[in-house]
Amino acid sequence: MNSAAPATTENPTAPSLRNRLISFIAIGEVGVIAALLLLVAFFYFMQPAFLSERNIRAILNVVSFVGIIAIGQTILLVAGEFDLSVGSVAGVSAVIAAQLMTALAWPVPLAILGGMGVGAFIGLVNGIIVVKFRIPAFIQTLGMLFIGQGLIQLVTGGYPVYPLPKEVSDFGMSTFAFGLGWSFAFFIVAAIVADFVLRRTVLGRNLYATGGNPEVARLVGINTTIYKIGAFITVGALSAVAGMFVMADLQSGTTSIGSGWELIVIAGVVVGGVSLFGGAGTIAGGVVGILMLKVVQSGLVVIGVNSNWQQIAVGVIMVLAVGLDILRRRYFTVGAGAKTAAAKKAGTQAGKISGA
Amino acid sequence: MDPIFSARGIVKAFAGVQALRGVDFNVLPGEIHALLGQNGAGKSTLVKILNGVHPAGSYSGEITLAGAGVSFASPAAARAAGVGYVPQEIEVLEQLSVAENVFAGHTGLGEGVLIYRHKLEDRTRAILDDLGLTIDPKAIVASLTSAQRHLVMIARALALRPRVLMLDEPTASLSGTEVEALLEVLRRLKRQGVTMIYITHRLPEVLEVCDRATVLRDGRVAAELGREEFEEERFIFAMSGQRLQKLFPTHEAPVGARPMLEVEHLNVAGKPGAIYGARDVSFSVASGEIVGLAGLLGSGRSEILHGIFGRVAAEGTVKVDGQPVAIRSPRDARDAGIALLTEDRKRDGLLFNLPVGANITIGNLDPLSARGMVRGDRERSAILEAMRQLNVKASSPQASVAHLSGGNQQKLLFARVLMRAPKVLLLDEPTKGVDAATRQEIYRLVVELADKGVALVVVSSELEEVLGLCDRCLTIADGRIVDAFKRGEGGEDRVLRAVAAAQAETVRAAS
Ligand SMILES: Nc1ncnc2c1ncn2[C@@H]1O[C@H](COP(=O)(O)OP(=O)(O)OP(=O)(O)O)[C@@H](O)[C@H]1O
Ligand SMILES: [Mg+2]
Repeated sequence: MNSAAPATTENPTAPSLRNRLISFIAIGEVGVIAALLLLVAFFYFMQPAFLSERNIRAILNVVSFVGIIAIGQTILLVAGEFDLSVGSVAGVSAVIAAQLMTALAWPVPLAILGGMGVGAFIGLVNGIIVVKFRIPAFIQTLGMLFIGQGLIQLVTGGYPVYPLPKEVSDFGMSTFAFGLGWSFAFFIVAAIVADFVLRRTVLGRNLYATGGNPEVARLVGINTTIYKIGAFITVGALSAVAGMFVMADLQSGTTSIGSGWELIVIAGVVVGGVSLFGGAGTIAGGVVGILMLKVVQSGLVVIGVNSNWQQIAVGVIMVLAVGLDILRRRYFTVGAGAKTAAAKKAGTQAGKISGA
Repeated sequence: MDPIFSARGIVKAFAGVQALRGVDFNVLPGEIHALLGQNGAGKSTLVKILNGVHPAGSYSGEITLAGAGVSFASPAAARAAGVGYVPQEIEVLEQLSVAENVFAGHTGLGEGVLIYRHKLEDRTRAILDDLGLTIDPKAIVASLTSAQRHLVMIARALALRPRVLMLDEPTASLSGTEVEALLEVLRRLKRQGVTMIYITHRLPEVLEVCDRATVLRDGRVAAELGREEFEEERFIFAMSGQRLQKLFPTHEAPVGARPMLEVEHLNVAGKPGAIYGARDVSFSVASGEIVGLAGLLGSGRSEILHGIFGRVAAEGTVKVDGQPVAIRSPRDARDAGIALLTEDRKRDGLLFNLPVGANITIGNLDPLSARGMVRGDRERSAILEAMRQLNVKASSPQASVAHLSGGNQQKLLFARVLMRAPKVLLLDEPTKGVDAATRQEIYRLVVELADKGVALVVVSSELEEVLGLCDRCLTIADGRIVDAFKRGEGGEDRVLRAVAAAQAETVRAAS
């Protein structure tokens, strides 16, 4: 303002090498990417077939399904909420689309739109109940997980919807390049778009503000209700898309589509540095995180580890990744880390008091 | 006399910032020792080191307590050694009661693991009584005002019966009478033999209760003064290296200017138990006028601002520039040209997940973007301009807001509300935690805005600020306007008398 106060200590022109290194390591994604490369190198060393063209293709195709949902889940987590019903929504949307194109003989494009509509609608319901009626997202979306499971059985009577129109099966088998399916193309495009939105747009910035502190966001004029509900709808619609891609891939509206995805999706994005507490994380991180989990699952198969160990590995990796991330944050932001640690401690102790 | 608590050669650096550059600090037994300095001088950093928030090993230098070398690995270790600490920013457990907050983390309150609620509440009441407070120990902290929360934190530190108590800007959010009460408590603690380290930007408080003072400037000790050397000018010179001119810039209320903000019959429901709402409040602020709201803690001043801004549900009409506006949310208020600077920067102001720069531009991105995309170059230059204008001291726009000193956080929030060029600016404690030089800058800025035709409403717990800065003063008690007068028509006594009369009336009406 004027000369009354000392000059700012700003010195943006000459960051020392050390500072640059520190800020590089402090970037969220660097840790996961490094871990991913290490794991790939490890599996390749154990079994060179891990990096065979066929295996790479298989991993990428499988990743694309859950990856599409991970994009939505990352957006929703950034906005400060999360969704446990994604797997169910994928399943419901897929079987409803399948019924529409078979039992009701709708044209395929219309049936696909119908499936997406179902996903978006469930997202809307989740969003309204969580935001407007203030039911915690954990409860609401857990409930929706069960409701979705029930709906799948109701819609299909417990039997796969089969056969699907020929266009669908053809589409499921076709590839767009390097033997990768269209689901992979969609995944990549959606990830790039979403990453751009979060990084560079007003909408993205407002999402981070909403997840960081909804009251502050509201006070600066952001309509947090719309942002949160919009994020729920996005997750729902993307889950539906993923479910229908699997349906096309299997050439059948199977009742097991999407089952168990919710946990792998959340584990993946959290491994990628997306915060469960809202307001922090990137699409790049979330996508790399889920890729890492799939690489581990596939790698363990390729080097011939018993399948039960795969589950254990996923669990261990998630805890390790998040633990390392917390340590990294604490180290690179000493003051803030110490403060939150102290606050957490006070929190648990007070929790004991109130519980007594 | 040997110091009871002393630090020698303390050096502390954060990534990119040298906060302390070799500080020697000596506190004598039984004294109240003022720790002074401009925003970012390193005061909070020093007490955090003395309290183990910055653990041993993260700084260099030595600390001795009662003659023995100590190195605290955590605040708990410092507490166990009898060092109490009240942090600058409010850290409370909102969903718990006052009593549970006061005793959070304590042991030995019951038998074994059981805790007796009534025992907790009785002991809390005793501490609060001692502080001269009427807060209900059973009240949930979420229902308290931010000043009351601060008092709860002080009670929490006192519950440990510390030997040395460190208070980081405890009065920043308190008003005249509460400050007096707190200073009285400090005097009483002093008689009981407690040694205190007291950080403040309000020099009259230092003159009133402190025995010695250490002044920091840019991480170094600029002066160590005994009581006989106390003089406001001397402090300011040591803090800033400059002499200060007149505190309040001259401002004349414009004559015959059109009303910019008109509030009619504003009613805001109070939160149960703790806060008065606003009751049938009507006033208007002309373009270029500065109106102050004076009153005690919890008298409803903030609620009036919140009601106008659409933060809480309110009845009544609000007109901006002659046009009635329907305000149902802060967004509507913003679109009508109203801006609000909130009081509690940690809870209602800062976004800790975004860096300094994005914190300034959040909510103001429309002019900095094209077709929904943020224009990096435009945003960056707007940020640098805002930081320069308000002299926000941060290592870069990418720095984390958690690492800014308290006063710089306040300046950052000021930069945010100014970015939209509002027609009506509502300021809730605009100089909370701001050093003397910056305070002057903020006053100058307020007057400059008024000269440009902005209508300003200032809520301040410092009566001096309301009386010196504002063209008109509205005295608020129990959510009503009980007195109104122009600059020069009254002083502090007039405000206090009006408040006392209103309180007497309330008591009479109740009985
Ligand atoms: N955890 C941290 N990480 C990085 N920098 C920090 C951190 N904590 C403080 N700083 C920096 O250290 C300097 C001193 O900060 P400090 O909080 O001690 O100031 P202060 O004297 O208490 O100011 P105020 O009166 O505004 O509260 C500031 O430049 C601040 O930005
Ligand atoms: Mg401070």
